[in-house]
Formats: sequence, C-alpha cells, structure tokens
Amino acid sequence: MQHLYRLIHANPRFHELERKRARLSWALVTIVLVNTAWYIIATAFFPATPETTGLLADIARFWGTPVTPGGTTTWGIYIGLGQTVLYIALVIYYISQANGELDALKDAVIADAVRAAGEQT
Amino acid sequence: MTRKHHSTLPVLAALALLGWAGAASADVGTALHNMFTLPTDTSAVNMKAVGMFVVFVMISLGITFWAAKRTKSTADFYTAGGKIGGFQNGLAICGDWCSSAALMGVAALIYSNGFDGLIYSVVPFGAWPLMMFLLADRLRNLGKYTLADIVSVRLASVPIRALVASASLAFVVGYLIVQMVGAGTLISSLFGLNYEMAQVIIGALIVVYVAFGGMIATTYVQLIKAVLLLTGATFIVFCVLREFHFSLDALYGAAVANHPKGAAIMSPGLMFPHPVDASGVPGAFSIDAISAGIMLILGGAAMPHVLMRFFTVPDAKEARRSVAWAATLIGYFYLLTFFLGFGAVAFVMKNPEFLDAKGVILGGPNMAAIHLAKAMGGDILLGFISAVAFATIVAVVAGLTIAGASAISHDIYANILRHGQATDEEVVKVSRIAALGLGVLGIVLGIAFKGQNIAYLIVLPFTISATVFFPTLFLCMYWRRLTTTGVVAGGWIGLGSGVLMLVLGPTIWKDILGNAAPIFPYKYPALFSLSIACVTMIVVSLLDKSDRAKAELASFDDQFVRSQTGIGAEGAVQH
Repeated sequence: MQHLYRLIHANPRFHELERKRARLSWALVTIVLVNTAWYIIATAFFPATPETTGLLADIARFWGTPVTPGGTTTWGIYIGLGQTVLYIALVIYYISQANGELDALKDAVIADAVRAAGEQT
Repeated sequence: MTRKHHSTLPVLAALALLGWAGAASADVGTALHNMFTLPTDTSAVNMKAVGMFVVFVMISLGITFWAAKRTKSTADFYTAGGKIGGFQNGLAICGDWCSSAALMGVAALIYSNGFDGLIYSVVPFGAWPLMMFLLADRLRNLGKYTLADIVSVRLASVPIRALVASASLAFVVGYLIVQMVGAGTLISSLFGLNYEMAQVIIGALIVVYVAFGGMIATTYVQLIKAVLLLTGATFIVFCVLREFHFSLDALYGAAVANHPKGAAIMSPGLMFPHPVDASGVPGAFSIDAISAGIMLILGGAAMPHVLMRFFTVPDAKEARRSVAWAATLIGYFYLLTFFLGFGAVAFVMKNPEFLDAKGVILGGPNMAAIHLAKAMGGDILLGFISAVAFATIVAVVAGLTIAGASAISHDIYANILRHGQATDEEVVKVSRIAALGLGVLGIVLGIAFKGQNIAYLIVLPFTISATVFFPTLFLCMYWRRLTTTGVVAGGWIGLGSGVLMLVLGPTIWKDILGNAAPIFPYKYPALFSLSIACVTMIVVSLLDKSDRAKAELASFDDQFVRSQTGIGAEGAVQH
C-alpha cells in the first residue's frame, strides 16, 4: 500500500488533482464563512442609539429595514432564507464537480500508479 | 501504566455524574413507583398520540428484529457493513441532526426573541457546506468506525483514543440528558403518561434498537423519523401560510401585532446580552453572539454521532451524495423553522387555549411548535406531531447511544485495553453491554434532572465538539506538522478549559449555583476554549522534536494520498 502511495505522490497529475480540489473547496468555504460571519455580526451588534454610525451599525440597521416600504418582512428574513438556499446550491455545485471532473482525475491517477507498480514487478 | 490511567478517566466521569444524579433525585421510591405505574386518570392520556407512537414503535421493532439477524460482525454493528446508499444515509443523517431541539427549540427561540432566534437555524446549517467541502471525502477515506480512527491513521492510537473517546462520551452524556429530560417533559404533558415511565420507555427502546439491531436498525429508525418529521413540519407550515393566503407580509404583520416587543422582533438585537455603557444603554459588540456562532458552526460540523454516519456508505462518492441529500433536507427543514416560529407567535401567543391564567404559554416556549400544530390541525395533527416529537427523541438518542457504545467498545475496550487483540464477538458483546449501560445511565440521569432547566446543557456537547473534535480532525487532515503530543495537550487543555469556563459562567455559577456574579463573564466559552485548544496544539506540535513526531511528520504524505484517493480506505473497492 505504501508503495502505491509513494508512486501516486510522485505523479504530477496527483498534485493537479489536489490543487484543483483545494481551490474549489477553499473558494466555497470562503463564501460560506463570509456569509456566516456577516450574519453573526449583524446579530452581535446592537446600535446603541439611533445616532450610532459606522459600518456595523449600518449593517444591523439594514437587516431590520422592511423590503417594501410599509411592509413587515425585513431584509434580514430574506437574507436568512436566501442564505439557506445558497448553501444548498453550493453543496450541489461541489458534488457535481467532485463526482465528475475530480473523480475522473482521481481514477486516472490511480490507474497510472497501478500500471507503474505492475511494470516494476 | 499510562494506558490504565487514561482509560479510567471516562469511568470516573460517569461515576461523578451518577453521584450527582443520586444527590439530585430527591425521592427514589416515588421515582421507582412512577416508573411502572400507569396514570389512574386515563382521560388525561392522549390516545391518538399514543396510538400513532405505538405504530412507530411496532414498525421500528419489526425492523430491529430483521436487522438483528444481519448484525454479526463489528463492521455490521458500527457501520451497517458500509452498505447504506447515499440517499438513505442522507435521510438518516437528517434524522440524526434534527433533534427535538431543531423542531421545538428553534421555534421557541424565535417565539421569544423573534429574528435573533434564526441564528440557531441559519448558522448551524453553515456546518453542512463546511463538512462537505473540508471533511466528507477525507473522513470516508480515512475513517473506519469512530472519529478516533481517522486521527489514529497517522498519530499514536492509544493517547488519541483516550482523548477522543473521553470527549465523545462527555458529548454523548451531555446531549443525552437534554434529550431525555425533554422527552419526559413532552410526554407527561402530551401523552399524559408519568415522566419516569417516559424515561423507561425511551431507555428500553434505545437499548433494544442499538444492542440488537446495531447501526442497521438505528439507520432505519432515523430514516423513518426524518420522513415523519419533514412531513409533519411541512404540513403545519402549509396550514400557517394558507391562513395568510401565502403572503409573508401578512404572516409577519400578525406576528408583530401579537408580540410584546412589536416590530423589534423583525430586526437583530433582542437575544444576546450586549455590553452596557455608562448611561445604561446597551450597545456595541456582543462577544456571546460571536462565541455562540462559532460554537454552532464548527461544533455542528464535527459531532461524532453525525460523522459516524459517513462510515456507513461504501466510498467517498456515496459519502458526498449522502451529505448533499442531508444538506438539502436539513436546509429545507430549517427554512420551515422560519415559519414555525413566527407562525407560533401569530397563532399561539394570544390564544387563551394555550395560555395559563397569567398569559404565559403552557409548558413554556418549547411547546410553541406543538401548540401551533393543535391550532392548525386540531387533535389529530397534535397527536401526529407529538408522536413525531417522541420518535425524534428516540431516534436521536439511538444515534447518540451507538456513537457512545462504539467509543467504549471500539476505542476504549478493543484498542486501549486489548491492544487490538479482541475478537469480533468480544467487541460486539462489549458494544451491546455498553448500549445497555448507556440506556440505564440515560434513564437515571433523565430522572435525576427532572424538572430542572436543562437547556444550558446543550452548550456542553457543542462546546466539546467545537473545541476538541473540530480542531483535531481539521489539523490532522490539513496540517503536516501536527503531532500526537500536540493533539493530546491541546485537546485535554481545551476540554478542561471549556468545561471550567462553562461552570464559572453566568448560567451555572450565577443562575444555578446562586453566586452573585459569574467568574467567567460569557455564556458561550467556545471562542475562548477553541482558541486555547488550537494554540496549544500548534505550539506543542512545533516544539515536539521526539522521534515519534518525526515519524508522524514523515507519514503525512501517505495519509494525504489516502485521504485524496481512497486507496487503502476501509471497505473500499481495491483497484
């Protein structure tokens, strides 16, 4: 097994696979973390007085603003609903990439290693 | 000697808890009597709810009987032989994840705090994309039965297992108490049965499911429960929206009109304590909100009873499919909680049927979703949702029990005490005994904590998960320099500091123990305990120049190839 691991690790296509997966994962992780952070920050920040200014106060206040003037549903509700839908979409996008292109590359890398191991014996 | 020392820790912890339990249960005789006594006034028993629950029990016991014949090896017991399909596993994960806290707790938080309650639905859901992008493939490729297996691929098995198994047991027991007390309260008010009897029913069912049916039976119980829960919640939300002709503004307008805090429930700021300035005006940043957010998203991404389900599928591809299904179903369920919570404000808060003489909701805010079911669909829907809520608790407790039993039998018994020399039969036997032990412990603790406000206890498992499991798994997979010494030091120190901060914090030190002021000022210690654990793991690993550390560093590449390709993975098809 260790022999196969070494062969794979020496294969440049393995590092292509690893880099592609990392790029995809971390890009999506960043989207999720930024979204979650801004959700938590809006909940964590409480504008002390109506005069409080600054980005955080503006974010917190924006979340409490009704979408249609005179209505009750605030931006915060739509952002919360939208965030949940966005996460589902990201997960489905990831699986389409991972089960398609990345798995094909993975199978090719394994086939290379098995062939090389066969030639050596 | 060190081996013996490590393995006694969880036992000591359990004994300490039992001692606490003994002190807390005032009248053991009454408790024992109630355990086996049907209520004399049967008019209080909700026959529709009991009937529907009995149907669920009969079906699940039938499945357990069928599964028991298929549960022979340890692989069958822990992972259903790795033969569960992606969709079934996704449904079962949804069952594991959506505890009664997700159905009743989120609705209760929205009922009391409005918008801020949504943090408990939106933020924990963020754990799912994180699990998918960072952990799912690698967990399946490296794992076998338990979380400790993953870390033991490269690091030293015994000290790692002592840490992870102890933390898993603390996690399971904390979570178990919350579920058992919740179930008892729910059943005494809904089914009209005794609290103690409810504990015995749940405890007995769990032991039968887990001890005889292992992971196969547990999976199907989760699966059925997930379908029931999603159906019930969908129907209630449909009824709520129909009342308002599917207009969100009309629903939220009715909620704002009913709630004592008025329009404030539609914007952030009501739930978390905010620092108060000199003039007494709250403002600025709430550290608690940030710490709670970190606890929910990172703790949620590393819960042992959920991650264990990734080992029940044949390979990484099916693991990803199960996460995709689980995320879709759980996300859909969380979308429903938006409407359940505000729907309860609209239909329950001003409805005298659900209020006591002082205008307080009967059974506390946790009953908001249940009352909403009655308001929407009368006794039939109430009965159905009550049965679903009970089934939900039974299923979650079953998932916790199998996670706890595997930590005891696979990590502590087979690998620490027997050094991997135990036979399959011996390990399965210990698993069954462990399941029985956990069932009994659940009953004892459930009765001991009767009538106490245990909502705070859910902070314990989430803090442990965010402090110990998440950094250990993440650093092990992504950071070459991590060593056994680093994990063990950071894990134990993080666990200890997290528990200590929780005990010294406002909830336990001030509210429960009655001290004037908390020593640690925040309700949620995860931000601090996670930082302590991570810094310790990193610093100690970097300082570790032992031979073992060098070997561990050198084996990172092998682990990395395995985690990416699945070669050498348990139960995977060999190419």
